[in-house]
Amino acid sequence: MLLSVGELPYIPFGIIFSKKYFNWNCHLLRKTLGGCNTLEKRTVTEINEEIRRGDVQVLTVEEMKKLVEEKGVKKAFKEVHVVTTGTFGAMCSSGAVINLGHSDPPIKIHRAWINDVEVSHPGAAVDLYIGAAQMSETKPFEYGGGHVIEDLIRGKEVELRAIAYGTACYPRTRLETLITKDDLNQFILLNFRNCYQRYVCATNSNDEILYTYMGKLLPHFGNATFSGAGELNPLMNDPDYETIGIGTRIFLGGAQGYVIGEGTQHEPGNQMGTIMVRGDCKKMKPEFIRGAAFTKYGTTLYVGIGIPIPILNEEIAKKVAIRDEEIFIPVVDYGVPRRERPRLGRVSYKELKSGKIIVNGKTVKVSPLSSLEKAKEIAETLKSWIAEGTFYLSAPVERLPLDTVFKPMKQTKDIVFVEALMRPAATCKENEDIEKVAQRIITHSVNHIVVVDAQGKLRGIITSWDITRAVAENKKSLTDIIIRKVITTTPDEPVEAAARKMTQHNISALPVINREGKVLGIITSEDVAKLIGGK
Amino acid sequence: MVRVLLKFSKDITSEPITSQVIMEQGTPINILTAHIDQRGGEILVEIPSVHAERVIEAFRKRGVIVESHKPVNVDKEKCINCGACFSLCPINAIKINEDFSVTFNDEKCLGNACQLCVDACPVRAIKVSE
Repeated sequence: MLLSVGELPYIPFGIIFSKKYFNWNCHLLRKTLGGCNTLEKRTVTEINEEIRRGDVQVLTVEEMKKLVEEKGVKKAFKEVHVVTTGTFGAMCSSGAVINLGHSDPPIKIHRAWINDVEVSHPGAAVDLYIGAAQMSETKPFEYGGGHVIEDLIRGKEVELRAIAYGTACYPRTRLETLITKDDLNQFILLNFRNCYQRYVCATNSNDEILYTYMGKLLPHFGNATFSGAGELNPLMNDPDYETIGIGTRIFLGGAQGYVIGEGTQHEPGNQMGTIMVRGDCKKMKPEFIRGAAFTKYGTTLYVGIGIPIPILNEEIAKKVAIRDEEIFIPVVDYGVPRRERPRLGRVSYKELKSGKIIVNGKTVKVSPLSSLEKAKEIAETLKSWIAEGTFYLSAPVERLPLDTVFKPMKQTKDIVFVEALMRPAATCKENEDIEKVAQRIITHSVNHIVVVDAQGKLRGIITSWDITRAVAENKKSLTDIIIRKVITTTPDEPVEAAARKMTQHNISALPVINREGKVLGIITSEDVAKLIGGK
Repeated sequence: MVRVLLKFSKDITSEPITSQVIMEQGTPINILTAHIDQRGGEILVEIPSVHAERVIEAFRKRGVIVESHKPVNVDKEKCINCGACFSLCPINAIKINEDFSVTFNDEKCLGNACQLCVDACPVRAIKVSE
């Protein structure tokens, strides 16, 4: 979309004229003397004038940082009008609004699916929202709303199914059709939260591989992951949101889009600002917007965002010079399934981008999850659009808030922890007779005997099933039937997390242990069922 | 070094074949990964190039299936160079270059024997070779 400069200004004409006149003088001076000493600030309108004339000086944010380092802030401000940023990360709170037009006879859609992905129905008859994280009912965890959006952008035909209850004005109750993006009246990307200023670094203290929204985390701090583009990120380069606000025109998925406000969970005080964005999917390019699947977590959408930062004054020039070594994020243990996860230290984006960080004194390989290569490509592409005069800047009509906080959820029911549900475990030693252990199962009327050593530390587990098998297979020694790989819990683990472990591993009890591996008790699926059923 | 995948059927897993071959051929064999269960076993080994031919022959004589290892297949059209795979590679076969593009070293890659990176790819660009 090419806007003529005449459409842009909202400042009274007189001011534009005088500013323009001033800027023109400076422009002449710059050309003749190589600099304008009186220039202390410039406006977005003036920058757009430079774009129109083909004289705009635009650098990617990486080039600008080097320039500031080499020549200083003053010189960099004088020489550069606009700096382009970029990021290409997975954001689950992305999605697209579509309008289908009316069928004949008309339908007021109650539920609908595209390629087996349920698309939510926000209100009127044929408006639908494709949520990136909604998963296919036939290919869950592999295909989802993000893929539907990508397929539509690629021009692919998708299958729409819908059902309705039928009304006098909308009599139809079933619908099946094939559509492409050309058949849609609107196909608008509408992302509630994108472009996180910075995000945490994830690692895993657990005994098992964790599959999370932060990717695959190997056990025992075997690796780490981080998201975010660091010094390339748009908001990190405008940390006080002076130039990025409601109405800021941006690069979005390979087309022009807009910032429409702060994103959900916007937390400026913690340098975790976010933005809400919208853009026309019909104009987007699949290389800058991609459906994705995080194994055993779900589906999402990678969204390419680039934001131009007008260098309005020296202060802004100084802020865009921020380097990766100045941006720190906490290292967080995702092995603890709680809202407040333990923090194991902090690292800079410079360390993260080197591929290795130190966690608990150990060197750990670290993966970016957002594509830094794409982030650079986006900054380059936006730079070329501005230099070629196909992209004009827009000043925000309202700034993003600087004071919002990200509160935790209000919960009216207390969380129940394992401690509240655990009971003493029936135990045995490794060298005991099978018969004795079998008797203990009967006298205690339990299904699990926890095997411990002299110090009470966990050595294994035996179930009544194992005893039955031992009898059937004529096994005499307890050591033949002990299960050594035991899934455990701790007293401070929420019951939900413990229940999930049992379901995942198809087991019916977990020994409760402390940090030293000492057995404190046991929690069974029956106890969990009673807790849920008792309410 | 030559990297090969040794497949043991369940009938021969109880014999110390690898040790026998090492002794007989007088060559060191580096075991990179090993996976053994009731159905048999698979180990990925590195053999010094000069001894490779006769060592492979010695394994085959003992009923071991010897396959040259196959690295993973990366679809560069699909790959978005995010690097999610990078930290999962146990032998540094995945590299993030200075321009943040991601490259795989097929010589080093443990391929079928490892597969740790495969399900970590968000755009499913990494596939195991058949």
